[in-house]
Amino acid sequence: MIINGVTIDETFAEAFPMKATRLIITAHNAKWAMISAQAFTGFATSVIACGCEAGVERQLKGNETPDGRPGVSILIFAMGGKGLAKQVETRSGQCVLTSPTSALFSGLDSEKDIPLGQNLRYFGDGFQISKVIDGKRYWRIPVMDGEFLTQEKTGVTAAVGGGNFLVLAESQSQALAACEAAIEEMQKIPNVIMPFPGGVVRSGSKVGSKYKALNASTNDAFCPTLKGQTSNDLPAEVESIMEIVIDGLTKEDIDKAMKVGIEAVCKLGSKEGVRRISAGNYGGKLGPFHFHLQEIMS
Amino acid sequence: MSSLTFTLKEVTRQRIDCSPLTPNKLADKSLADIAKIQLVTGNLSERADALFIITEGDSQSIKFKGSNSKLDFIGHNMTKGKISVDGDVGAYFGIFMEGGLLSVKGNSFIYTGCEMKGGQIKVNGDAGDFIGGARPGRRNGMTGGTVIVTGNAGARAGDHMRRGMILIEGNTGDYCGSRMISGTIAVQGDCGRHLGYAMKRGTILLNQMPTRGITANFNDCGTHTLGYLALLFTSFKKLDTTFSRVDNFSRVRRYAGDLAGIGMGEILVKI
Repeated sequence: MIINGVTIDETFAEAFPMKATRLIITAHNAKWAMISAQAFTGFATSVIACGCEAGVERQLKGNETPDGRPGVSILIFAMGGKGLAKQVETRSGQCVLTSPTSALFSGLDSEKDIPLGQNLRYFGDGFQISKVIDGKRYWRIPVMDGEFLTQEKTGVTAAVGGGNFLVLAESQSQALAACEAAIEEMQKIPNVIMPFPGGVVRSGSKVGSKYKALNASTNDAFCPTLKGQTSNDLPAEVESIMEIVIDGLTKEDIDKAMKVGIEAVCKLGSKEGVRRISAGNYGGKLGPFHFHLQEIMS
Repeated sequence: MSSLTFTLKEVTRQRIDCSPLTPNKLADKSLADIAKIQLVTGNLSERADALFIITEGDSQSIKFKGSNSKLDFIGHNMTKGKISVDGDVGAYFGIFMEGGLLSVKGNSFIYTGCEMKGGQIKVNGDAGDFIGGARPGRRNGMTGGTVIVTGNAGARAGDHMRRGMILIEGNTGDYCGSRMISGTIAVQGDCGRHLGYAMKRGTILLNQMPTRGITANFNDCGTHTLGYLALLFTSFKKLDTTFSRVDNFSRVRRYAGDLAGIGMGEILVKI
């Protein structure tokens, strides 16, 4: 399959099951809501070392948030419910509770839930106040700038992590431009995040390593500087490859995000130095969800 | 389908215990079965059809017509459905209620919403003492649900209240929020003496400073913008009450008390 001079490889991305939740952070204005959200989602690029993958889903207007203030919706993914609960609690405590004017709410209703403010409340040292409104419990924790308001629990849902595609370009700048164009479109899709810096990862990994201590290492098959050293089929003119990793609440959400992302890359086309779109395919070792590029783009 | 209707035949000298007449207790009962139900009145027991004219209808939507303040325990332990009453009701209106909708076009007597756990009670008139309270000797009043009073409330509204919401569109009597454990009482009008007496936790939200002021057992914590009030007012919007039309406010003066006890309660006054 070739779109605008860009070859779509006959391959698939492999993704794996995760647990996810959505949180809504509000603040005095959009700027401070985003600052808090960025703090929360910092160091959350990959579960390999961060414990979770998190990112900003979208900005919210006042009429979309529980307390009527501007906010940000974030998604957090982890390998299991317990791991997710731990990450949500520590990050909420250090990054949202501490952030001026912030409030924190669940953005996901489900049968299963994990603590949100349930343990953060103890920061109130006995002065915390519980309020049940519309069947949901909230905690008002007195803090130096007023009150930190947080919902007691947030829902947890099964999700999919690790959807991806690779952009093979003639130069680093062209690969970056193509990925930026893709991310701009993908950010419009709900229920997904691209957790790496700016949504783009330049150090895609493969499963395993020659070093026993590591469970992931550089994806040498897609390292252009190793063209002559390792078995790969990279075209001679490809000098730079970048990857976009997608986590979504469902497989269909990732399908949609991949489609609009690849479309945006292909719109630039071969005249802008984009040669191929491929995907991280680890022979079925990584996960049960397979995203076939040509099916998605057909 | 029209409502199952109980029309009081005549004003009785004795009070009538209407606790068996709720949607959950009458579900799947035939009209003949309902007519046979024994209701306690005074020291006697009478068939339901001896006291009421019973009109067949949907048992999940019950109406009482010609009611007066001697009909006690209407909505007792109700878990679902709807009861509406034309006229006044007696004591213990909605006692132990867990769900459904209970309304009266008239006044309710003492202990409205006593120890209720859920559902909604609306009194389109005045309510007597101890709204949402605990029975004498009991430690927990209402633990959930909402009571709306469009008129005035008697004394000790929310006595021993543990959770839930009492919305009073008019004035309250003395000792509003007395011995309150938690929950929310909102009052649009004025409050009587000893507001929040022996209150442990919970919130009394006032639209105006009471003419008698705040008692000395509450300390002024200053003026604040409280974010949770936005959520509270949003929850009011779903209710059939003038509270749904009150302009949202989050600026309040906060008073903490009752400091003679643990002092974790609060009175919030709109500024």
